[in-house]
Amino acid sequence: MTGFWALDYLCLAAILASGFLVVRMRNLNAAVMALSGVGTVLSLTFLVLGAPDDAHSEVVVGAIALPTLYLIAIAKARTNVSAEDELGESSDRRHPG
Amino acid sequence: MIEGLVIGLVALGFLFSLSGAVGIVRMPDVYCRIQCSSKSVTMGAIPTLVALVIAEGPVSTYGSRALVVAGLLVILSPTASHALARAAYKAGVPMWAGAMRDEPHDQTSTKEAG
Amino acid sequence: MYLAVVIAELALVAILLVRLGRGPTVSDRIVALNTMATQTALATLFFAAYADRTVDLDVAIWLASFSYLGAIIWSRYLERGLL
Repeated sequence: MTGFWALDYLCLAAILASGFLVVRMRNLNAAVMALSGVGTVLSLTFLVLGAPDDAHSEVVVGAIALPTLYLIAIAKARTNVSAEDELGESSDRRHPG
Repeated sequence: MIEGLVIGLVALGFLFSLSGAVGIVRMPDVYCRIQCSSKSVTMGAIPTLVALVIAEGPVSTYGSRALVVAGLLVILSPTASHALARAAYKAGVPMWAGAMRDEPHDQTSTKEAG
Repeated sequence: MYLAVVIAELALVAILLVRLGRGPTVSDRIVALNTMATQTALATLFFAAYADRTVDLDVAIWLASFSYLGAIIWSRYLERGLL
């Protein structure tokens, strides 16, 4: 059982680092991407803890669907941002509208 | 014999995966990083999966799922890398300052000149 | 031995998190995220073989195919906007 505990703590450390990135990142797209990383590692944590059904839904929802939803919301809200430097990186400049 | 083969394949795969990860961290621009990523999938993930197939046997439960994942990775990973590189080029992500050639740009400029 | 492989893949995920945090453009982060999903799929397969649970194997297939979908969505967003 020691291996399970080691894997559990390793996954928790990776989730903690990725969640720290989500909170601390200045750029919105980068924060959404770190959120997708949280979902990916969290599915492995669910597997280690013995919940394969949660792992399935976490892969589909937490790693793909939720970041895409946030991405659509950010792209919709982009038109109301007043200061240009709040947009973050230069490669975001092709936003629709 | 089989144990040694499995350990060798896993070591090979981990070595390539590690070099790919270090390359993703250390390389200077996006296109080099895309190349490192695709290399770490092709030479890093596939030998590791083949090691699992050899260890468990190809018709067992684990071996067959490992074969399915290997097939998916072989087909999907180059496609994703290509789409990503194309999107990065179209979005205007700058190349490394030491890059020698920009071939799509050269072709379009010669077409416009001729 | 399977446990060592899982821990090694998780260490690779930790290395890739550096690029996910530092990457100057969105494309760098997509590359790091895609590779992270691949390594996590490998870790899932080897964890299923280590813990001897056959239910866990399908999650690896989901991860391997859906990381591709995520990369396609992000690159479409980069290229011409999502909507």
